[in-house]
Amino acid sequence: MSSSTLSEGRKQFIVDGVTQDCRADGRRCIDFRRFQIETGIVSNTNGSARLRQYGTDVLVGIKAEIGQPKQERSNTGHLEFYVDCSSYNTTEIDGHIGDFTTQLTKSLERIYDSENVLDLKSLTIIAGEQVWVLYIDAVVLECCGNLLDCISIAVKAALYNTRIPGVSVNDEEGVLELEISDDPNDEKKLSIDKVPVIVSCNKIGHRYVVDATQEEECCSSGRLLIAVNDRNNICSLQKSGTGSLDPSTIFEMIETARQAAVPLNQELLQTLKREERSNNDKCGFFAN
Amino acid sequence: MEIISPEGLRIDGRRPEEIRRFNCRLGVLSRADGSAYLEQGNTKALASINGPHQAGDKAKIKHDRVHINFQYSMATFSTNERRNRPKGDKRSIDISQLMREIFQSAILTDLYPKSQIDIHVQILQADGGNYSACINAATLALMDAGVPMKDFICSCTASLVDSKTIIDVNNSEELHFSNPLLTLAILPTSEEIILCQMKSRLHADHLEDILKAGIKGCKDIYEIMHREVLNHVREAAAVMNAT
Amino acid sequence: MLKSRTFVKKTRKGGVVKVVQEHYLRDDVWCGVIGCSSCNTTQAVLDPQCLNVQSNLCPKSHFIIPDTNVVCKQIDILEENCIKHAIFLQTVLQEVKHLSASTYRRIRDAIANPEKKFYVFSNEHHKKTYIERGKDESPNDRNDRAIRVAAKWYQKHMQDNCFQTDIVLLTNDVENKEKAVQDNLTTYTMYEYVMALTDSPELMDKLSGDFEDDEKNQIVFAEYLPLSKIQSAIKAGRLIQGTFQSSRDNYKEGFVRVHGEEQDIFIKDLDSINRAIQDDVVAVEMLPKQEWTKPSGLVCRDVENNENDNAETAGLENTAREEKLENYIADALPSGKVVGIIKRNWRPYCGILLPNPNPNARRFLFRAADRRIPRIRILTRQSSNLLGQRIIVSVDAWQRKRRYPEGHFVRRLGPIGDKETESEVLLIEHNVPYQQFSQAVLNDLPTLPWEITDDDAKQREDLRHLTICSIDPPGCTDIDDALHLTALENGNYEVGVHIADVSHFIRPGTAIDIEAANRGTTVYLAEKRIDMVPELLSSNLCSLRSNVDRFAFSCIWELSPDADVIAARFTKSIIKSQAAFTYAEAQLIIDDKQRNDDIAISLRSLNVLAQALNKKRLDQGALSLASPEIRFQVDSETHDPLELVKKELRETNSLVEEFMLLANITVAERIYEIFPQCALLRRHPSPPLSNFDILLKSAAVKNIQLQVDSAKMLSTSLAQADLQDNPYFNTLLRILVTRCMMQAVYFCSGTLAYQDYCHYGLATPIYTHFTSPIRRYSDIIVHRLLAISIGADKTYPDLMKKDKVQELCNHLNFRHKMAQYAQRSSVSLYAQLFFRNRVTKEEGYILFVRKNAIQVLIPKYGIENTIFLRSADGSELPFIHDEQNLSLTYQDITLQVFDRVLVEIAVEHNEIQGSKIRLQLLEPQVCSFSV
Repeated sequence: MSSSTLSEGRKQFIVDGVTQDCRADGRRCIDFRRFQIETGIVSNTNGSARLRQYGTDVLVGIKAEIGQPKQERSNTGHLEFYVDCSSYNTTEIDGHIGDFTTQLTKSLERIYDSENVLDLKSLTIIAGEQVWVLYIDAVVLECCGNLLDCISIAVKAALYNTRIPGVSVNDEEGVLELEISDDPNDEKKLSIDKVPVIVSCNKIGHRYVVDATQEEECCSSGRLLIAVNDRNNICSLQKSGTGSLDPSTIFEMIETARQAAVPLNQELLQTLKREERSNNDKCGFFAN
Repeated sequence: MEIISPEGLRIDGRRPEEIRRFNCRLGVLSRADGSAYLEQGNTKALASINGPHQAGDKAKIKHDRVHINFQYSMATFSTNERRNRPKGDKRSIDISQLMREIFQSAILTDLYPKSQIDIHVQILQADGGNYSACINAATLALMDAGVPMKDFICSCTASLVDSKTIIDVNNSEELHFSNPLLTLAILPTSEEIILCQMKSRLHADHLEDILKAGIKGCKDIYEIMHREVLNHVREAAAVMNAT
Repeated sequence: MLKSRTFVKKTRKGGVVKVVQEHYLRDDVWCGVIGCSSCNTTQAVLDPQCLNVQSNLCPKSHFIIPDTNVVCKQIDILEENCIKHAIFLQTVLQEVKHLSASTYRRIRDAIANPEKKFYVFSNEHHKKTYIERGKDESPNDRNDRAIRVAAKWYQKHMQDNCFQTDIVLLTNDVENKEKAVQDNLTTYTMYEYVMALTDSPELMDKLSGDFEDDEKNQIVFAEYLPLSKIQSAIKAGRLIQGTFQSSRDNYKEGFVRVHGEEQDIFIKDLDSINRAIQDDVVAVEMLPKQEWTKPSGLVCRDVENNENDNAETAGLENTAREEKLENYIADALPSGKVVGIIKRNWRPYCGILLPNPNPNARRFLFRAADRRIPRIRILTRQSSNLLGQRIIVSVDAWQRKRRYPEGHFVRRLGPIGDKETESEVLLIEHNVPYQQFSQAVLNDLPTLPWEITDDDAKQREDLRHLTICSIDPPGCTDIDDALHLTALENGNYEVGVHIADVSHFIRPGTAIDIEAANRGTTVYLAEKRIDMVPELLSSNLCSLRSNVDRFAFSCIWELSPDADVIAARFTKSIIKSQAAFTYAEAQLIIDDKQRNDDIAISLRSLNVLAQALNKKRLDQGALSLASPEIRFQVDSETHDPLELVKKELRETNSLVEEFMLLANITVAERIYEIFPQCALLRRHPSPPLSNFDILLKSAAVKNIQLQVDSAKMLSTSLAQADLQDNPYFNTLLRILVTRCMMQAVYFCSGTLAYQDYCHYGLATPIYTHFTSPIRRYSDIIVHRLLAISIGADKTYPDLMKKDKVQELCNHLNFRHKMAQYAQRSSVSLYAQLFFRNRVTKEEGYILFVRKNAIQVLIPKYGIENTIFLRSADGSELPFIHDEQNLSLTYQDITLQVFDRVLVEIAVEHNEIQGSKIRLQLLEPQVCSFSV
């Protein structure tokens, strides 16, 4: 939805609501919408998760493949992101869909492909030669605002769900041979302690709003992406979109994001743990 | 490798003329005009419909009927070995074109002149019979969207292994390239064939057997799809009555 | 219910990929017990009332469930008639299939035999017997558990349905047995079970033993590398995979044939052979170049006596003597040693028990008829019954500390030297299926009296008005070809070759088709033939006998007087042969100028055309090669050989041959045109030049230069090669040339490029077999293809698949090769019987010269044998071997290749191994020989 399709009156209504900390759907400025998350629903991936909110539906699949390390980081594995918006109704996007997707992909890569976020060293198989590359692919099935945050939650959930197959290295007189464990239980989990979720903070009027709807995004005068992990540390910061921000507002926005992130991270972790324990057959798309 | 054991079971435990577990559900997406999700074994497809709406591209406006815009894509993680692109490769474009023709012949296109219907099917997990799953999912999504059609379009694959026909071929069976693979779609009421595509070689003498098996598979699938659509309508009616 | 199977596998690119497959669990997998009230029993075979064996352990009726190890190791016992009513679990069969394809085939055959009452229970797809692999559980443990769970289910199922039948789990695994006992399962080892069978004590001998290591034995052989290491090492190129071929001449030498490589790897000494047996797929490590050697050229046989256990500890008596003798590094072959076994290709071997001086001994050595197989140690209680008999033995294992492999007794064939027994031995040794045709096969035969229906007549061209005749060897009852010729008004001739329409009677996929495909070819032995199809077809309905209506597949040409093909067509027809001639009869008619009837005229014209065809062929470079073919005139009562007859060649032989070749070529072109991917063709690869080395060397000794660059040059130079003093020289050369040739093979057109189709010997770019469908399965396939090409028949899937056709070709090639060997063995067996009671002096020629022996061919009898140059006391004579001149010299005697010698032919009797033909050199006389 481009900003021009929203009427001036509607815009004013939204800004006024935000000013009074009561948004159009009744949330406070630091409230996230309720979401459902389910993991492990695409069985031929190494990890997968689907996030659903009203009007938003994101599916993330992770495939672990053996590849070569990047030149500048020869001793660690790395992540590759890809966001597929093909089913997204293109008329709702301002601008070119390719640019939009690239932007999302780049943002994710900048935030997650870092040793501070994930123990990338543990993805090394043979230093300097062979490492695990995690291909993290997000499919946007439908969207109603705040897409990046939603993807990031799903990515974190999918990483939690990811199991790396057991591989041992045989040294055959100097020739290194990889051997795959024949035991399906011989798998490695990833630690998501330091994996952040992204909280996009929008400046609407004089207040800061998280988890903006599409309409609210049209009224935003500036947006900051803040990645916050379980320890409530800021992992990344990124000014996004058009508009400019005053230095002082940045600090206030960070504070808002951190406040919003605490319950978000907690709830996510609890859901994931509960789901892992229950170990039921996955409902996937058959869940209501 | 034995695709059918002497005991008459396939590698995954099915008998030759059994379809895989078939599950489907209508209305899984909230913003689309119609949507459906289905699983044929481990092949999973999601279809969404937008429209009929005003045609976006002026060049594609047809004065007497609706323009059908079909998009087929496969999630990059859907196959065992990761794909680089979800769509835009030659095959996806080819399939999209083929699917457009199929649905053009079943949708009552003259009801919506100068408009457009978008059908988008995405394969989320691929384990053989992708085109079939794509057709079945799109049919259900069209039902959900309430687009008038002549009939369901039901699709199933069939193959010939050691002179025995098998239906609803899965990926590990498809990998035996030397066996023919028939993808079939029919209008179940009239049993008219709307798609018939053959991969690999098959002598015409055996076409009848394999076709017969394929049609049976389509009709089995139709039973399930039909039941699910009725259920969905009943539920929707119940909700409407309650409000 | 649905479970999924997940596994990770390596991709070709070296990555890994996670694969998920569905695994359905069913509630309609039935127990297979007759009369079970809770299962569908239409396919049931297990009879709960059965009491098939008398057993001390299991007095009640019971079903046995063997585990994987039991099936793999004790397949001989399971195949015994008295073992019935067994349940084979899918888990077990899958493991067996993985471990040994040949055992899997055997157990599948046993299951398919309705007499055996074996039932396969698909436990992996049964809702109640499927289990998932636990944490820290190895795949083996999981499968053992699956077997116990299934056995337990059966036990309960029998109780629930009020059957009194016990379920008996057979396992040799101690741990598995313990766990099964804890589960309250009746469990025995195979040994216990067989021991307790009171009515079949002879089964004991067939048990494959467990071989615990004797501490006292020294380590004899190097340990094998584990398979995983072998695989990675092969990939890395440090080891080479190949098939081990033991030398026929020297048991201490062998070669490893590497797929796609021209040069075999030489393996010297038992240490390096390291327990590899003929045909095993092995991993070889190359030796450093300075250690390369070459075959010693000695002919060496293993000791004949039953050595006592002490001999084993003495280690391997590597012949130091010969190593010191010479230093032949100069032309050493690439040499290596076996470091691991990738796949054993053991089969049951025919042979004899070697006597043991200890009268109470139970351990015996067994000597296989195939001398490439080492001695095998077996344990038997019935040695007195087995000595002097031909028996079959299977190999079980070869321990590192054992000089010989261990095996067990399988079956007794009969007394040594007995004609029947020896014939059976050679059939078994060459893997020829010779059993009577099963009832299922016979059921597929048409019923007599067989009549031509109107439908048949409608679909076929009626050629009964033509003057058709057949020409075959005397006594031939399976006539598969006939000819006719009609002069056309335009001066050309219409010539037809009519081939028995076997494919009309043998329909694809029927029992008779499967059997014929398996047999592949009719095998002609000296006294009998082993038919590919039942006699009713081979000698009656398909045989184009005279004066009866028969179905034929006709190939009809219009030929110009110069024998150029103007046109060709094919048709299914009905013919009535006017006469069935022998070659001699036909020749008489041609030569008899008085006869001027239709048949005589057409035979003469055919003869002229055939000569024209023959000339064309020779001009193109076709080879005419000699191989001494002899036949025995056999007494019709006793089947004893009465007389040796050399095959005579007449013009009429060539007449038939030329037209058959033309038919084959015409058909080959046709089916290749219609089925470029799946036509069954025959090719004869041109031999690599190195094959001619021995030929050129031999010829060079006599100052003859042969040109071998092409078939044409070879045949021209052969035609000119003659020696004044040796009239047989040219024939000898041609015999040597046949030894240089490659085998002609069937292949599927889609597997090779067109230029590789060529037939070297016949000098034609494309060739197939069409003319003998009664005795060759390849021709049946070709008939089917041709019939489809003219719209007279339908296809079936396997016929149209390149890989299936190629698979069939490989099988047929194997059968043909074996049939040839069996034929040769049969001739030499009869030669032996023939010479049993006589001593004959005959002239022979030296074909090959070895370091301590010469190989002599006796043209009159077609016998070829090795003469060891030993003195009377058995010691070797110090002949000097001249490798350049291919000669052996001792004092004033020189033996050189192609030399004429006079030999004495006699049959040598030997207690242990029966009799064999022995040649003694009479001329030139070596003083110490003539004792």
